[in-house]
Amino acid sequence: MTPDNTAPADNTGDARSDKKPLLAARDLVQEFIAREAGGARGGVVQAVSSVSFDIMPGETLGVVGETGSGKSTLARAVLQAPRPKSGSVVFRDMELTKLRGSALLSARRDMQFVWQDPFGSLDPKWQVRSIVEEPLAAHSVGTRQSRRKRAEELLDLVGLDPARYGKRHSRELSGGQAQRVAIARAVALEPSLLICDEAVSSLDVLIQAQVLNLFERLRRELNLSYLFIAHDLALVKQVSDRVAVMYLGKFCEIGPGESVYKQPLHPYTKALLDSIPSTEPGAARATATLRGEPPSPINPPSGCRFRTRCPRAADRCASEVPQPRELAPGHLVACHFPLTEPAPAAAAAASVPTSAQAQAQG
Amino acid sequence: MSNALLEVEDLRVAFAAGGREIRAVDGVSYTVEPGRTLAIIGESGSGKTVGCRAIMGLLPVGTVISGSARLNGTELIGLSDSQLRKHRGSDMAMVFQDPARSLNPTMQVGKQITEAIRTHRKVGKSEARDQAIELLRLVRIPAPERRFSEYPHQLSGGMRQRVVIAMALACRPKLLIADEATTALDVTTQAQIMELLLELQRDLDMALIFISHDLGLAASYADEVVVMYAGKVVEQAPAKRLFGTGGTVKMRYTRALLDAIPHLERPAHAELPVVTGRPPDPSALPVGCSFAPRCPSAADDCTAKAPALAEHAPGHRWACWHPCENGATA
Amino acid sequence: MAAQLPDMTAATLTAGAQDPLPSLVSAGRLRWQRIARALRLWVPGGILILLLFVCFVWPHIYSIPPGDSGSILAAGEPPFSPGHWLGTDPNGVDIFSMLVYGGQVSFEICLAVTAIGMIVGGVLGMTAGYFGSWVDPVLSRVFDVLIAFPALVLVLAIAEVLGPSEMHLIWALSFLSVPGFARIFRASTLVARQQPYITAARLSGTSNWKIIFKHILPNVLPGVVTFGLLFMGIIVIIEGAVDFLGLGIQIPQPSWGAMIAKGQNVLTAQPEYVLIPSIVLLIFVMSLNLLGDALRERWGVR
Repeated sequence: MTPDNTAPADNTGDARSDKKPLLAARDLVQEFIAREAGGARGGVVQAVSSVSFDIMPGETLGVVGETGSGKSTLARAVLQAPRPKSGSVVFRDMELTKLRGSALLSARRDMQFVWQDPFGSLDPKWQVRSIVEEPLAAHSVGTRQSRRKRAEELLDLVGLDPARYGKRHSRELSGGQAQRVAIARAVALEPSLLICDEAVSSLDVLIQAQVLNLFERLRRELNLSYLFIAHDLALVKQVSDRVAVMYLGKFCEIGPGESVYKQPLHPYTKALLDSIPSTEPGAARATATLRGEPPSPINPPSGCRFRTRCPRAADRCASEVPQPRELAPGHLVACHFPLTEPAPAAAAAASVPTSAQAQAQG
Repeated sequence: MSNALLEVEDLRVAFAAGGREIRAVDGVSYTVEPGRTLAIIGESGSGKTVGCRAIMGLLPVGTVISGSARLNGTELIGLSDSQLRKHRGSDMAMVFQDPARSLNPTMQVGKQITEAIRTHRKVGKSEARDQAIELLRLVRIPAPERRFSEYPHQLSGGMRQRVVIAMALACRPKLLIADEATTALDVTTQAQIMELLLELQRDLDMALIFISHDLGLAASYADEVVVMYAGKVVEQAPAKRLFGTGGTVKMRYTRALLDAIPHLERPAHAELPVVTGRPPDPSALPVGCSFAPRCPSAADDCTAKAPALAEHAPGHRWACWHPCENGATA
Repeated sequence: MAAQLPDMTAATLTAGAQDPLPSLVSAGRLRWQRIARALRLWVPGGILILLLFVCFVWPHIYSIPPGDSGSILAAGEPPFSPGHWLGTDPNGVDIFSMLVYGGQVSFEICLAVTAIGMIVGGVLGMTAGYFGSWVDPVLSRVFDVLIAFPALVLVLAIAEVLGPSEMHLIWALSFLSVPGFARIFRASTLVARQQPYITAARLSGTSNWKIIFKHILPNVLPGVVTFGLLFMGIIVIIEGAVDFLGLGIQIPQPSWGAMIAKGQNVLTAQPEYVLIPSIVLLIFVMSLNLLGDALRERWGVR
C-alpha cells in the first residue's frame, strides 16, 4: 500500500552495488497515553502514524520536524526503546520488533544512539575512559588490556587526547567534549547505523561545527549510515543525503536534500524554508506563511493533518488522507495539491489570511 | 547621540562564586535609538543576557555592577529596587526565553495581564480587563475574550509567548528587551513572533533589543547588530553593512560564527571551517584579545594586548588587530 | 595559526589597545566566601570527629572512672571537682564517664541501625525503583506497612517483647530505618533511571544488576548519605527517648537518655544533671544535621 520509498542508488550521489537497504522501516506506529496534570488519563497521543522509510548503507537520512512532529519518538521506535505499537523495522535482515533479550542485544551492537544532552548521556560518576569502554566490556570484547587500549584509540578518533581526558569526569568537560565522548562510545562496537537525536542542538555554533565535522569524518572512515534528527532544516540538509520532513506524526515529504530544498513539493516544507532567517546577502527576510497553532497530537485533524494551517487546503484534504507519490526522481510527497500544481480554487476562497500572512504576501 | 533612547557606557558586571571573581560583562558600550531594533548576538557565556539584566536590575543581590546605562537620560545603574520598579514595565520591559516559566501556572492569563496593568496604572478592575483584552488582540491572539480566562497550560508555546509579550507591553514601554524570546519556539512560530514584534514596534514606536545566538535572526530582523564575546563587544555595525551583498564582517569571531552556521546553499557533507577550542573561563580571562587562543589568524600582538573597540569605518566598530580583508560573506 | 607580524610601528601597536580591567569584586569578599564554605564543612565535621574520639579513643589513652558504678563517698560532687571534672551524680558515678560510655552506646546504635537500613533498604529500594512492573508495587506496599507503624510504639513493643538490651534496640530501630532508606533509594532510583546514561548503558549491553550497582548506586549515594546523616540524628533522639523511659539501655549501664531521666527529680536544685547530657545530645544531632547540609552543598544534591 505504501509505495517503496527506497531511493535509487544514484540519487545519493554515490555508486552503490548493494541495493538492499540497511534499515527498512514500514508502517511504524507509536502511541502513548497523555497524562493530565495530576496524573489523570488524558487522550492517546498519536506520536508516529504509519511512517515508512529506508536507509541505504553509507547513507545519511535526515528527519526534520518541529515540536510535536514525533521525530524523536520515531528514533526511539526504530531503536525499540520502547517498541513501536505496530509496524516493522528490518535491520540487516533481522526483524527487530520480534527480537527479545539477548537476540535484541546482539542486534543492538550494530545500531547506536547519540542523545541531545551530552551530559545526560554520560554517567557523571564514571571516568571518560570507562564510559567509552563500557560497550566493549558488556559484550566481552577482548581482554581488559585490549579494551583499555581500544578505548584510548576511540578517544583519539574523536579528537580527545586520552592522556589528558581519559581519567576526567563529565563535569570537567565542555558540551562539545562531552558529546565527543558520547560519540566515541557509540562507535566503540563499530556499528553500521548511528541514530542522532538532536545531537548538536544544545551546542554553541562554533562547537556544533566541530562536532558536525567529526560526524562527517567518522562517516567516511567507518562507512557509517546515519539517521539524523533535528529541528533545523539547514543543519539537516547539510549533513544528509536525503531529507524527510515530518509533521504531526507523518512524513510530508522525503527526497534528496537538494531536491527538497530547491523544489519543495509540500506546502509545509515551503513554509519551513520561508521561516528560516538567512544570513545570505540579498536573502529575502524570513516570513511567517503558516497561520494558526499546531493542532494537538491527541486529536489530529482528519484527512491531511496539515490542512488546518495550509494555505492551499480544500475539501478533499479533510476527507482523504494523502498518500505519498513520487513526483521527481526519488522525491516523494504526501499532498493532494503539491506545489508543482496550482492551488485549488476552493482553497483561495476558503482561506482566511491573518494580517501577518496578508503582509507576507502583500 | 543626544537623542538616543538607551545609552550603555562601560558596563561591567562581576560576581563572586566559589571564591573566584566571574567577569560576566567586561566593559560594554552601545546605544539604542528610539524605534530602532538592536540585535545582541553571542554564544553562551558571552555576557549578552547578564548585561541586559543588569540594566533592568534583575541580577541577584551580591552582583557588582559598574558603569552607566541611561534610559532617556535617567541613570539606571545604582538605583534601588523600588526606584527601578517605577521604570520596569512602564519605560522598559523584558521578555524571556521560556514562556512557561514566565507565567504563573495557577493563574488565568488574563488576570496576569491585568495584574501587570494595575501595578503601574490606577485603573479599575473592569477597565483593566478591557485593556487586557485589547492587549491580547494587539498580540494577535484569536478570540481574546475566551483566552482571557484560560490557564497557561491550555495555550501552545507560541501563544504563551504572545501573552508574555502582552504583559510586557501593558504600559506601552519605550524599550522592549527580548532575551532569547524565540529560542525555545519552533522556527515557524519564531517567524510569527518576530514579525509580531516588528509590527508592535512600528505601531507603538518602541525600540527593541533582541538577544540571541542566531546571526540569522539579526540579519533578518535587526537594524543594528552588536556581537559579544567573553563579556565584551567585539563588533558593531548596521545589519545591512554586515550581511548585505558585499557585506563586511571584520572581526574574526563574527567571521567564524558566520562560517560555522549551516547554510542552506551549502552542498551536503561539506566540511565546515572550524575554530578549535572553547570560550575562555570568565574567571580567568586571558591577557590580550579573548578570542586569540582560538583565532586562526592570531599573531603575537593579539595575545599581548587586547584591541579596543573603535570606529574604524563610519557606523562600524570592531575590536581586532587583524580584521578580515575581503567583505564577502559565506 | 598564521604568525604574521604586520608592519606596525610601536605607536600603532599600543594605540587602541586595552589593558585588562581591574577586579570588580573585592578580594576580601572572595576570600571570605572560600573560608565560610570550608568552615561549614569542617566545624560540624570536626565536632563529630572530636566526639567520636572522646567516646572511643580517649578512655584507652587516659583512664577514667567507670560509668556504671561509683563510691558513695564521692556522691553529688559539683562540676570542676578534682578527679571528676564534670562532677558526679547522687550515686557517685562520674558524669563525664557516663557521657563517654553512654556516647559509645549511642554511636554504636545509630551507626548499626543506619548501616542496616542503608544496606537492606538500599537493595530493596533500588530493586523496586529500577525494575518497576510488579516488583515495585509489591515492595512499596511492604515499605508502606512498615512505615505506617507508629515508630515509638513499635520500638517500645519490641523492647517489651524481646526484653530491653542494646541488640534488641538495634533490631527494633531497624524496623524504621529499612523502609525509610528503601523509600529514599527508590525515589532516587526512579529519577536516575530516567537519565539518558542509563538507557545508554542498556544500549551498550550492560546487564541490569551491573547497571544498578555500577551506575545507579554511585549516583544516588550522595543524596542517601546526606539523608543518612539527618536520619542518624533522629535515631539518636529516639534511642534517647527509649532510654529515658527505661525501656532501652538498662541502668546501671549508662546512656544519655537515662541520665536525663534521673536528673528530672533534681532539675531545679541541680539542673546540671539534665543540662549536661541534653547539651551534648544537642551538639551531636546539630553537627550531624549541619554536616549533612554542608555535604549536600558540596555534592550538589537537591
